[in-house]
Formats: sequence, structure tokens, C-alpha cells
Amino acid sequence: MSFLGLRVLDVLWKPTVNIVRHRYHADKTRLVRRYGYKEQIWSGGLLPRALGKPLPIPEYRPSNAWTERRALFGQNDYIDILGPGDLHPVKTLYTVPSWIRGVSGSEYHILLRKKKMWSKTASPAIRPTKWKELQKRISFLYRKLNRKTKTGFSPD
Amino acid sequence: MGSRQIVEKSLSMLRSLPRISLANIRDNPNCKKKSKRGRAQHGGDKHGAGNKGSGQRQNFMRLGYETGNNPFYLRVPQEHYYRGHHLKREYPPFTLLQLQTIIDKDWVDISKPIDIASIIKSGIYTFYPDQKQFGIHLTDEGLDNFSAKINIEVQWASEQVIAAIERNGGVITTAYYDPHSLFLLKNPKKFFESGQAIPRRMIPPPDAIEYYTSAKTRGYLADPEEISKERLKLAQKYGYDLPNIENDPNYNMLCERKDPRQIFYGLQPGWVVNLKDNCILKPKDQDLLQFFNS
Amino acid sequence: MTSVLISAIKRLHISITPPLRLYSSNVTVTPANTNLTITRKEWAFQPQYTKPREVWIENLDTVEEQKLGLFELHPSVYAASPRIDIMHQNVIWQRKVRWVSWAHTKTRAEVRGGGRKPWPQKGLGRARHGSIRSPLFRGGGVVHGPRSGKSHFFMLPFYTRILGLTTTISAKLAQDDLHVVKDLELPTDEPGYLEELIEKRNWGPSVLIVDDTDYAPRNITAALDNLPHVNIMPVYGLNVYSMLKHDTLVLTIAAAEKIEERILRLLHSDTRQQQRAFQLDQV
Repeated sequence: MSFLGLRVLDVLWKPTVNIVRHRYHADKTRLVRRYGYKEQIWSGGLLPRALGKPLPIPEYRPSNAWTERRALFGQNDYIDILGPGDLHPVKTLYTVPSWIRGVSGSEYHILLRKKKMWSKTASPAIRPTKWKELQKRISFLYRKLNRKTKTGFSPD
Repeated sequence: MGSRQIVEKSLSMLRSLPRISLANIRDNPNCKKKSKRGRAQHGGDKHGAGNKGSGQRQNFMRLGYETGNNPFYLRVPQEHYYRGHHLKREYPPFTLLQLQTIIDKDWVDISKPIDIASIIKSGIYTFYPDQKQFGIHLTDEGLDNFSAKINIEVQWASEQVIAAIERNGGVITTAYYDPHSLFLLKNPKKFFESGQAIPRRMIPPPDAIEYYTSAKTRGYLADPEEISKERLKLAQKYGYDLPNIENDPNYNMLCERKDPRQIFYGLQPGWVVNLKDNCILKPKDQDLLQFFNS
Repeated sequence: MTSVLISAIKRLHISITPPLRLYSSNVTVTPANTNLTITRKEWAFQPQYTKPREVWIENLDTVEEQKLGLFELHPSVYAASPRIDIMHQNVIWQRKVRWVSWAHTKTRAEVRGGGRKPWPQKGLGRARHGSIRSPLFRGGGVVHGPRSGKSHFFMLPFYTRILGLTTTISAKLAQDDLHVVKDLELPTDEPGYLEELIEKRNWGPSVLIVDDTDYAPRNITAALDNLPHVNIMPVYGLNVYSMLKHDTLVLTIAAAEKIEERILRLLHSDTRQQQRAFQLDQV
């Protein structure tokens, strides 16, 4: 019944609508945000702490600056000056793999050299997935550099 | 205290400064210029690429392309100046002025015969036997200033150059070396370190035989009698008195020539130069001797 | 401000001795009262405008320092301009020349799996995706990540490296951190002896000893085995980094002369071969 009453009221009663043409600034009320909140000058305090065990901090382990590798770092770098003169310092970089020893270049250049030098070894047969991914990367970089990279006129 | 003894001053200042170590060295300030893309109101406008067109889009036209015109490099009819260049022998030039310069600077010893090896050792001349370059072409630049008495062996020389050298009482020979011999002459040390026997010099190819057997060009295969006649003829043609080299104190040096099979002065084909023990090993086997003397 | 600086420089008492000197050729003078040897040297390339440096020859066979003689060092090698920037460039080069970065990430092509379209393009109300290894996915490939085998190699110009050596040696000598000893003979192979000697003579804790041969006497090698901060090197192993890492540089007479001879020869000879740009096939 109440539903019916509402429908009747809806039909019979019309609210009066005042069209407000101007809304003056003086009539506006300011919206107060965060009512009752006072900002304190010092809002710090203790950091939140777990009640049980302390937060994990890695144990301080200073590195030994005088291990043999560090103490003799750079030995033979001037062998072409102070040595007999027939040996280049690049030849004494025994810790660097031969395919990248003394090489400088972009990723593409280095991969091409790596492929050239690895192809003569047993690597393609032993590590076929690595080899396939190397070739995939080379072909990707070839397409990127030659077909998708814009280069200006050469400087000369 | 002089105002310019900067090194002494800085070294003595260093005495009272803390020890230089890995922790307190640095490069000069602002010595590395970082290339940065400009930002903000005007620096970030076009980043130097310009407004519109291929400059901005960086889709540059290929070189020589004239937006559809018949390009210049195709408009001119072809003229085949260089047809067959890959088959021709090349003799990179070396001027008489350069020769006089290295003699004056004492970069070459003129008390001994000069050949291509000693000129290369002076460091002023280089050539590449693998690029069909067959040695020195002695050119006439600085001809009037040339005043040294030398015994020189080059690979190509013009008439004026021969006259300029003989006018001073010198001797010139043109000699052919095959590319392999030229590699040896260019870097003798590398060859001696390889421990191989010195090979024989090869005879000239057919189209060079005429030049190297001619007395006019002082070819190394020419008849010595003919050469002395030609020396006199050239002196009369250019109008100078030919100095008599028979009476010269350096007569022996001026008469020294290489054997047509010989590459280095003083070293015969078949010998092995041992740099490690500082000795020369000579073959004794009859077959070897016959091979290297043939 | 300037006046303060000038007075500070004046207080340093910089004394410059006259640049020219008369040479008595290779004379060894032995004064009567002491047994000091004073060596005047005759180099192949005489110093022209600077005077040679003089150093004491010291001993290693007693803890107390004994001065065995005076020794001359060539100013082109041992009194070169102290250039901090050149030292820095040399150290950076020594670090970079052997530095290869092996950090590695996999791209979407290399991560395992991801070939199948995870769900249909349309009809599910979900975003469209073609692979579960795309960079947007957790566990997917990495874009522009580090790729293994990145080399930082470059060659420093030849004369910058020579200058690096001379400037560092000169700075060491100027700061009293370079000592010349007669030989490396020790009376004992105890490391304690060497430690005591270093302590007594006020050499820094770390010492770099340089000899001209590959083989050092037995006592010193045995003593150095347990002293990680005291190291020994042949002349050809000497380098800018080690000189700067160690506080004190100790040269034997033979080593000092060999360094001098090598560098002087290179400073006065045709080095176009060495100065050429580095090429891989040259080594």
C-alpha cells in the first residue's frame, strides 16, 4: 500500500523549483578539510618495532684490501714500457676470456666475435641452447641496427 | 728563484702535502664534457634537429640523390681512366727533396749503399707490397737542391732524377723486387725471427724486363759497359761534367751492387740469420747451394 | 686572500739550486773518514736544464738505517711534473682495461616458455596478451637489461702511460716515499724482522719492493709470505696503481737504473710503432 501511496504523492505533489541565476561568492561556504586535526611541529617518534627479534641487519664484513689479487692488481700493465718491449699488456690479461680480451665494441660486435671464435670449438654441440640463443640475439641486433635504427650522414 | 721552474716548485710543495694515494687523485675539473640533450623552455625545443623535413625526421636521402633529377654522378659520361688498375704495378713516389732531408738529418747512412730497406728504416717512407706496390719511384721534386753523393738503388726513376744523382758523383740503379722480397725488405726483423732461409729474388715479369735491362734507365740487368756510355751521354745532354768515380775515395762503396738474386746487402740467398745467437747459418749441402745459386 | 697565499708559499722555503752542473764523468768518490760511495752518473741522454736528483743508498741487513752512499737519478724520470690528473687517468685505465661486466638478463625470447597465447584475444574482458614472458608479466623478459660480456676496454695513449709512470715515481720521490736500497739480502727469514724495520724507518705500513730480476733472495721471499701488505715485483711488473696503493716504494739500485734506462730510451727514440692506435691483431 505504501507503494501505491508514494505513486499517488508523486503524481499529485509537485515541489516548487527556484531557479538560482547567480550564486554569489558571499553565499558560498568554505569546505573545511581535516576538521579538528592539528599539525604538530615534531611528528616523529620511535620507529615501529617488532616486539620479538630485531630486524635483520647484515653482519659487517670489511673486505680484505690485501688479498693477493688486490695487492698485486695491475701488475704487468706497463710491460711494453718497462719490459723487453716485445710483449703487449693486453697479452697478459690472463683472467679475461680470450674472445673478449682487448675487445671494445657494441654488444653486436662482441657477439659476432664470440660466435666466430666459438664456432671452431665444441661449444655449439655441447651447449646447443646457448648457441641458438646467441644466433637469435645476433639476428635480432642485425635487424635492429640495420633496418630500424636511423643514422645520419657519415661525418666525412 | 726563477718564475718558471714550475716542476721544481710543485715537487717541493708536494713534500709538505699529504701522501698521494688512490684515494686522493682526481682528473682535472670539467675536463670531460658530457653531451647532454637540452631540456627546459628553449633548450628542449628541437634538440638541434631543426624544423621539418629530413633533418627533423632523420630520414636522410641517400648520398648523391637529387630528389628525382638525373644525379650528377650519372649525368657525366664514364671515362675509364682506371681500367685494369688492379693489374698494374704501382710505385709510390719518394722525392729527391725527402731524400736530401733524411740525408741532412742523418736518418740514413750515406757511407753505405742506400736501398729500399734503409729508406724504410728512416721512417719517412712506407709502402704496402700486398697492394701491388712494388717499391720506390724516385721523383724529381727538389731536384735543384739535391747535393749528396750516394749509391742508391730504387725501383723506378726518371731521366732527370738519374742526371741529378750522377751530377753529384753518385750512382743510381733501378732494380726489381718481387712482392715476397719486398715484404722481407720492409720488415727484415720479422722475417729473421721466423727462422727461414733467405729466398732468391725473382726475375722481373715480362712487361718489366725491358725497363730493368735498359742502360738508359740504369737497370740492374743492363750491361755495365752500356751504362758507363749512357752516363756520359746523359752528362752531355744535360750539360754537366761527369765526376770520375774511379778516383773517388769511396770507389768501393759506389761500385757495390746487389746480385740479381740477392735481396739484402751482405746476405746471400739460402742463409739463415739467427738473431738469438747473433750468427748466420750457411747451407753446405750441394743441392741447396745449387738451388740458391741458380 | 692572495697575500695569505703568497705568504704561505713563501713559508714553504722553496729553494732552487742552479740548473747547470759540471759533470765529472762516472767518478766514484770515497771520502777518507766514512765509507760512503758517491756515484756520479754519465747517462746516454744527459739532463739539460735540470739537475739530477740525489738519493741515499740504504741497507736492509740491519734494522737501523745505514747510509751506504749517494746515488744520482735522472730528472726526466724521477723529477717529472707531478700531474695528479695523469695518475688518475692511468688508474682508471688500469681498472677498465681488464673490466668485463658479466651481469646478464634474459630477454622475452630467452626466458623459457611463453610460446602460447595465454587467453583468447576477445570475449573474456581481460587485457590482450600474446605471451606470458612479455616484459609486462611477472617472470617475463627484461627490456634493455645488462647483457653479458660488456667490455670496458680501451688503450691509454702510449706517452700518457709513460708520463703516468714518471709522474708517479717523481711524486713518490718528492714525498720521501721512494727509497733506494743496495740489495734485498736479509739476515733472517722472520717476517717480524721486516715489520720492525719498516716500523723503525717510518716507511708506511704497506711497502712495494721492486727488483730487476724475477728471482728474489730466499730470506725476503719467505718473510714476505706472511706479510700481505708488503709485496715484491720485478721491474716489468711496476705500475701506477700498485705504486699508489702501497705507501712506500723501495727500489734496488739495479731496478732504479733499469727503470731509468727503459724510460729514457723510449723518450728519445722513434716510437711511432707503439703510438699507433691499438688494433686487436697487433698483439
